[in-house]
Amino acid sequence: MYNYNYKVKSGVTGTGIAVLFTVALASCTTTTIDEFRQGETGIESHESIVILGRRQASNYETREDFVNCVGEHVNQGENGINVVPEQEFVDALFPWFEPRTAPLRTQDLERLMAESVVAEKLDEFGIRYIVWVDGFTETTGRTGSISCAIGPGGGGCFGFGTWEDDSRFDARVWDVDALTSVGTIRADATGQSYMPALVIPIPLIARVEANACSSLANQLKQFVRGS
Amino acid sequence: MAAMFGILAACGVNNVTVTGTYPTPNVGKLPLKIAVYYDEALRDFSYIEYTETGKEEFDIHSGQSHIDLFNAILPGMFEQIVIVDSMEEAKGTGVDAVFAPAIEEFQLALPYKTKLDMFEVWIKYNMRLLTADGEYIADWVATSYGKTPTETFRSNEAGINEAAFSALRDLGSSFSLNFARVPEVRDWLASR
Repeated sequence: MYNYNYKVKSGVTGTGIAVLFTVALASCTTTTIDEFRQGETGIESHESIVILGRRQASNYETREDFVNCVGEHVNQGENGINVVPEQEFVDALFPWFEPRTAPLRTQDLERLMAESVVAEKLDEFGIRYIVWVDGFTETTGRTGSISCAIGPGGGGCFGFGTWEDDSRFDARVWDVDALTSVGTIRADATGQSYMPALVIPIPLIARVEANACSSLANQLKQFVRGS
Repeated sequence: MAAMFGILAACGVNNVTVTGTYPTPNVGKLPLKIAVYYDEALRDFSYIEYTETGKEEFDIHSGQSHIDLFNAILPGMFEQIVIVDSMEEAKGTGVDAVFAPAIEEFQLALPYKTKLDMFEVWIKYNMRLLTADGEYIADWVATSYGKTPTETFRSNEAGINEAAFSALRDLGSSFSLNFARVPEVRDWLASR
């Protein structure tokens, strides 16, 4: 078993000092990636993976947009991997991968593969790995206030607001051939967003979830390729 | 926020018609010819959500969406499906059984009432399986649940539709997997 951990601090350049300061503030995001490997991996060019969101929790739901974002990133680039879109896969495998019926453990997958209709469909898609993405983004520490007013001569806003976003996502990789879990990648991204308002509000949004998505996807691509 | 909801409530009831397309289940088909009877209560089913002051807030129509769901899943579960307009019509069709679903209860949880970042829908059904002559074969309760998180720029109507669509899809998955496991249905299938 191997455990890797690294941090990425994103930075952006700009032309003017003000723009640089603004953009630097907006892009102040820290992303940590942890990788836990339990088995060997590798994928052939004719094989595919599917990335599915976990939706069993009662208090949150892994957003479809995030799952699609990871899928698109894994599919792109020179080392891109074939990714079957989540909705297409879940519809084709209906009713076996719905929130109430989806396998929670690899033992459940083994039982599921005993169903010939499921095994045939997975084979048809060429699925080698199923990746379960589970997590959410939480906004905390909202402070400040912005007041807006409108009158006959015009309107405007004044004030300052700030908040912190924290994205935590796990990607568990199941090997469909071996019916085992081969590892987990965890992405944790935090960032502070600001909203100064001087006549008009200027949102300086930390791209926390977008950074978590791209970092998780890049690591997942390397993990699946076994590099 | 309270003022905004007050204004909304003052504007009258908001109509929501549940829409969505449902997949056909990938399950082994049972060698049965089944008649399906959607009664008027199911076809015209709607649920009204009230504000805390007792005013009508949302009128949610899901009858047609339930019909769309059953029309999508039943042909994947049985060899042959015949839709009938009355129980009498089923008598002359030579079917093995008549399936008649009914909605017993519909519940909605809105994020600004529960203080959770979720739209949630629960539906309770009474599923009935009868002979072509209208005699009892099986009668069981099924429940379904659907939820969807709140999202910036998504309307309440869209959130309710998404949660209801998820609940109907949940019904489709549990019904198609569990139909033959219902004790009375299992006994009836074994006796054939």
